[in-house]
Amino acid sequence: MNPIQDLWQSIVRRDPLSTDKGKSELVFLNVWLHIHPAKVKRENLKLKHTWYLGFITFFLFLILVTTGVALMFYYRPNAPQAYQDVKDLQFVVFLGPFLRNMHRWAAHGMVISVFFHMCRVFYTGSYKRPRQFNWMIGVFLFLVTLGLSFTGYLLPWDQLAFWAITVGTNIGSYAPLVGKQLRELLLGGHSVGEAALLRFYVLHVAVLPGVMVLLTMVHFWRVRKDGGLSRPVWKLEPEKAEKLVTIGAPEAPAPLSVALASKDKTYGLMEVVTGKPIFETVTAEEEEDTTFSYPYAFFREAVALMATVTGVMAISLFWNAPLEELANPAKTPNPAKAPWYFLGLQELVSHSALLGGVVVPALAVLALLAVPYLDTNPSRRPADRKWANRAFTIFVVVNVVLIVVGTFFRGPGWALVAPWTHISGAE
Amino acid sequence: MPQFFFALSLIGLVLILAAVWQASTPTWKTYQRDFHQLEAQGEPNSLAKAAALATPPVIHQVLLTGLQRVDRCTTCHLGVDDPTMKNAAQPFRFHPNLAPHTPAKFGCTICHGGQGLATDKANAHGRVPFWQEPLLPKDYIRASCGRCHKEGEVPGVPELTEGRRLFETQGCRGCHKLNGVGGSIGPDLTEEGASRRFPEWLERHFLTPSAVSPSSPMPNFNFTKEQARALTYYMLSLTSEEMGTYYSSVRLIPSASYGRELFVEKNCIACHNIGGVGAKNGPDLLGVTKQHSTGWLDEQLVNPELVYPGSIMPAYDLATNARKAIVAYMASATPDDAQLILSQRAKPLTPQDAAIEAGKQNFSRFGCVGCHGLQLQGGVPNPNSQGGEVPSLLHASDDYTKEEVITIIRNGKVPPTENTAKPAPPLYMPSWKSVLSDEDINRIADYLWSLQKKKDGW
Amino acid sequence: MKRRSFIGWGTAGLAALWSAVGVSLGAVVRFLTPSVYYEPPQTFKIGNPSDFPLGPPTFLADEKIFVFRDRDKGFAVASAVCTHLGCTVGYSQSDERFHCPCHGSVFGANGAVQHGPAPRPLEWFEVTLARDGQLSVDKDKVVPAAYRLMVER
Repeated sequence: MNPIQDLWQSIVRRDPLSTDKGKSELVFLNVWLHIHPAKVKRENLKLKHTWYLGFITFFLFLILVTTGVALMFYYRPNAPQAYQDVKDLQFVVFLGPFLRNMHRWAAHGMVISVFFHMCRVFYTGSYKRPRQFNWMIGVFLFLVTLGLSFTGYLLPWDQLAFWAITVGTNIGSYAPLVGKQLRELLLGGHSVGEAALLRFYVLHVAVLPGVMVLLTMVHFWRVRKDGGLSRPVWKLEPEKAEKLVTIGAPEAPAPLSVALASKDKTYGLMEVVTGKPIFETVTAEEEEDTTFSYPYAFFREAVALMATVTGVMAISLFWNAPLEELANPAKTPNPAKAPWYFLGLQELVSHSALLGGVVVPALAVLALLAVPYLDTNPSRRPADRKWANRAFTIFVVVNVVLIVVGTFFRGPGWALVAPWTHISGAE
Repeated sequence: MPQFFFALSLIGLVLILAAVWQASTPTWKTYQRDFHQLEAQGEPNSLAKAAALATPPVIHQVLLTGLQRVDRCTTCHLGVDDPTMKNAAQPFRFHPNLAPHTPAKFGCTICHGGQGLATDKANAHGRVPFWQEPLLPKDYIRASCGRCHKEGEVPGVPELTEGRRLFETQGCRGCHKLNGVGGSIGPDLTEEGASRRFPEWLERHFLTPSAVSPSSPMPNFNFTKEQARALTYYMLSLTSEEMGTYYSSVRLIPSASYGRELFVEKNCIACHNIGGVGAKNGPDLLGVTKQHSTGWLDEQLVNPELVYPGSIMPAYDLATNARKAIVAYMASATPDDAQLILSQRAKPLTPQDAAIEAGKQNFSRFGCVGCHGLQLQGGVPNPNSQGGEVPSLLHASDDYTKEEVITIIRNGKVPPTENTAKPAPPLYMPSWKSVLSDEDINRIADYLWSLQKKKDGW
Repeated sequence: MKRRSFIGWGTAGLAALWSAVGVSLGAVVRFLTPSVYYEPPQTFKIGNPSDFPLGPPTFLADEKIFVFRDRDKGFAVASAVCTHLGCTVGYSQSDERFHCPCHGSVFGANGAVQHGPAPRPLEWFEVTLARDGQLSVDKDKVVPAAYRLMVER
């Protein structure tokens, strides 16, 4: 073999991709791709089952990290230079407005897509055993997403940022016992100022992304160990459904997909121990129901990635992220509104600070976390879960209504106004 | 499916190219190209023409750390310091009479307003939402002189001096605070020039307050257009500019007229004379600039004891340009002028008259005339108060003792409401005990009592 | 679908994708290149020709330049930054040379290195007459030591 081939072989050590072995090795020899199974069930690829929302959320996160790092080259977290730096990004930096827009719209997009992803997981019952804890990790990821969006919101240091965070941190301070201290920890002072800007910046670029990455790793790992992406099990052909055997909860009659070892698969043997398996092992059924990850699954993921990126780019070309006047602690805009995903919370707070601001949201989060443990119905079929789905739908609708009211129906003094009234908060 | 992949890739490529194109073609590049073409037309030979046309487009910026701003106006306004562009169309026209306020040292926005950070026309001219300093209309640009030059007369801008005079004499302080002194009925005006740089609004407000502030209790003072303009100029000058040392050192205009103001303010005539007119304790100042160098005179003002040990002349803490102003005045001071100064000084008064005069000064300076009138006639509308208007003070002695009036001035008074179902009256007597000393308040009471109309006999 | 058309679309798609990546990389480099500098400008005006006396050069401390004015030979501007390690050199009237206080480099009146560790001569910058009559120095344009700007009285 010639030296070029030697060089290539020393880097890319798998068999050619035209062979089955090569396709498998691409997955399990490659550090970036080996979270995938070498083969996926065809049903995992169905667009209409998951809408690829998890992937979209993850890709939006990647967009945010990339554009965020780019923006970091031109941004200083000092008040008031921060505002000037954002103005410079708007007026002077090549592609400055475009990158800032991408960052903002991807952020809003990620909050929306992670919420929709949560809805999808609920409606497909994909949080049921053995995936309960992964649901909880998902809820934590959702909270971290909101935290990232919230900490980033302050960084432009304009009136919108300053007062939204003032309102947001004040809502948090209503928490009993720890509220005031939590607010002081977040702000590094008694009110939003230079210390708050620095703390929010560090949280936004280092701490929360780190937590997000760690939790995402666990989340993806558990998806694999729990049997791969969710698929509509209730749609299996009857004879296949008969063949499925329960694992772990022998008394429950409902079908859980199960491992029937296929003769043609390659297995890696880690260790030999005795004991009952508590979750699905290798996730292949019969050969004809699976297909290689390369190229089919990767292709679809790539399309999802490209659709997400081009979608964010298209929006960023035409719609500019807002920037109001420099933050002015002496001048409160009327009304002063929290970021849109907290407007539902602000609406609740306007009725009752403790009940609306602390108790109800805390109960909502606890209820969300407990969903897999409260729902003992082992069936994932929608027909068997009418009441669970109805309850969740009510939860979603209430959230949306609260946010809509807070956004469009509240004017100066938090008074009710007609939604078509122009609310000029800063004037 | 691969068609899908291809379509998305193509869309992605197109979008990236669109973004790069959008970022590469800002409008300022077009302006620069046009300017260089204009320049090339004026060049005599083809080499110079080619050089002008080949100038690469670049953002021009003036960094003004001492004025806390960055001005990029010259990115498009390229002819501002080029006399050959006298007749060019905007934005390339030459700006005459700039010295000493050159763009390199002062930028543009400190006088003209606008958003210096911006590089497109609409944002740079600042007439956009969320920018509080829009480009000033031509008639009001001279008001910006007052942003730095706050003391003394500014040559060429008499409106500033007139505006300040009107503010102090028409009673504005009765309702508005300025630099901590004044009433609290209306907004604090200390930073009015920073927060409301909208001259048309200000001028209309002075002419007819209720037209621009519908529920405002501010009375209509029936100002003339010139007076409203002067007051607008003064309002626009009410800013607190944070300036680096260079700017604060050149801020005061060392003119002879400012020097005369200081001469009067510091009461130099109390010890000195000019050509014999004045006091004889200190030396005659006539022609003093011919006898001594300006450096010597400057030192004399800073440190009199150093020049004349044992001198009783106080060491005034004057800024450099203030001292220069005094010396400039000394070069032109005449005995007739000294006579004028002497005659304008307050004449010796009996203690009682002095108290009444002091009370009258306070009554004007602290704005009481704003509501109670220059002749104490009252009459300013105060909706829903008993009587419907601010009362006249000419008959105060009929209803109150002097001590009661003093108490009202100290503690304030809310007028009784006519109809409690309707909103409370907007105007009220503020409490002045934290602003005025007891002695000042007593003098105001003396002044009021000196003007009481005797009640006609029953 | 047919293999050939799959490869056809796929290749075209990859071509578009790689082009997009290439354009993006170029855009990233351009993004990171500053369009404005938060520094004193490289081109600046130093005053009118009449502000500068003949004889020994005028030293401008903020801009770190020497302004020469020769009776017949016009104006020239030299950098005051030593080419060794960047200290500011001083001009000695007695021997008409530049001396660097840091490591003893000595430059002649034309900027050439006469003595010491400096590797290169002092730089001379282009000075031109701006349209308002002032002298304009451009530190981005280095000119030969013999460069002079002739200004009519």
